[in-house]
Amino acid sequence: MRLKCQKTQRLLSDYIDETLSERQMKDVALHLNTCRTCKREAIDLKKTCYLLENFYVEPEASDAYYARFAKTLQQRIDQRAPTAFHHHVRGVSSRWTWQLLVQVRRYIDRYAPTGFISVRQNVLPYYILVATMMALLAAPFILKLVPSGENGEHALGHLYAAAKAHMFSTPVPVSRQPAATLAIQQDTAMAQPAEMRRNVSRSRTTEAPTVNSGSDVWQFTDDPVAEGYILATLRTNSKDTLPSVPLDIDSELLTYVELPSQGASWEYPTAREVLTDGRYTFLLLQGIQSGQHVLQQYKREWSQLEGFSKKLLDVPLETLSITEVYDSIEL
Amino acid sequence: MERTEALLIADLSEGDETALAPLIEKYKRMVYRLAMQITQNHADAEDVMQETFLKVYRSIRTFRKDAAFETWVYRIAVNAALNFVKRRERRQESTIETTAEAEFAVDLRYRAAHASDPHVHAEKAELRRYVTAAVSSLSMKHRTVVILHEFEGLTHAKIASILNCSEGTVRSRLHYARKKLRTLLKPYVDAGAI
Repeated sequence: MRLKCQKTQRLLSDYIDETLSERQMKDVALHLNTCRTCKREAIDLKKTCYLLENFYVEPEASDAYYARFAKTLQQRIDQRAPTAFHHHVRGVSSRWTWQLLVQVRRYIDRYAPTGFISVRQNVLPYYILVATMMALLAAPFILKLVPSGENGEHALGHLYAAAKAHMFSTPVPVSRQPAATLAIQQDTAMAQPAEMRRNVSRSRTTEAPTVNSGSDVWQFTDDPVAEGYILATLRTNSKDTLPSVPLDIDSELLTYVELPSQGASWEYPTAREVLTDGRYTFLLLQGIQSGQHVLQQYKREWSQLEGFSKKLLDVPLETLSITEVYDSIEL
Repeated sequence: MERTEALLIADLSEGDETALAPLIEKYKRMVYRLAMQITQNHADAEDVMQETFLKVYRSIRTFRKDAAFETWVYRIAVNAALNFVKRRERRQESTIETTAEAEFAVDLRYRAAHASDPHVHAEKAELRRYVTAAVSSLSMKHRTVVILHEFEGLTHAKIASILNCSEGTVRSRLHYARKKLRTLLKPYVDAGAI
């Protein structure tokens, strides 16, 4: 085929549509007069266009179809129905999620232990086992993370303390149970502790014990354990002088007291004395301010453990072994 | 008083929903034809129609008043239809099914045309069916250009604007589409059935 024919045939379509420039129209017409092949091509294209124009059946829908369409469109406009884009995004996301799940499943199958129970067939029990283990491991941390209530008491901590007291308490005589433990039980289970307190109070035959803390003396009141509080009176060796050691250095005071045995009198515990199981307990006193010689009420704050643990460093190790008064998990 | 198209567009862009119905009435057949011919699927064509007029309704404020509204609607409809076809191809639907569906659609159109003119010659009826099937067998790009130019009567410039391509591309696609159709319709072209 000659070069001129190639150029002409590229212009034939526009020549039929008469969209060429005047000069191009003349050039093509001249070529078609001299070239039978290109002329045949032009005639065939014209016939093709004629066929398209006259015999092509355009699609058409009924009026009912258009009426239904208009109604549906109006509903979509009113409801602000999701567009095709939303459908597309939803489709893509669901497809990707499915593919991801398929890949995860393949991965699990690939690394399934041979000669062992198939992970795929027993995947549910494995999930349950893992979830249970995770829950058990995380339980202590969750209990600490849950914020305290209005009274500084821990909702979950109450349950935890009650469970702990139930699990770790030993069946010892009531008169020899630690006071703090009794107090905790009073808070968590309101039935028995009142009776126990009465026992403690009745067992006291002499004056209340004191705790010697250097130049200062903490003397417990006649009823050292009251409703949720530990009552103590601060005294100094010299009644008219302030304590030689300012008690506002720390915001809390750790001391301990020996509980009287059945029918015995209060004893005067000495500091740093080796404690024995069932005879001593901790009393955490907080909010001490300098110069307060009057009767103080100190609320037990088991939740504020930071200062509590610092103070415990000064306590003999033997003390820390007493599970009734100290639990490492609590710290 | 019947509102002009310009007034309808202005009203719709100001939030007057009553202006939408007359515009739909005017362009619904054109959009349906386009959608049906490009997608070759009745359900997709209906979705394309919905998407087209929803887009018109929601984007009417972005329509530039200096442009032709008809061309704008064409562009939206063609893009929506092409997107549906691409999505369908991405879904990896069976080519056989698509072809069969297209043939079925052509057959329906042929039967409808035949029923509307019971005295038509059988040979011409067969020719209609053949020509329609030939157009439907073109590739999507070629078919779109043929539809817009041959059946909708749009100029090369308008088609280029709708398809967002150059006029040269439109001319080239149209040229190759016609050559392909000439090959497909060769028995009728050579036999001089016209």
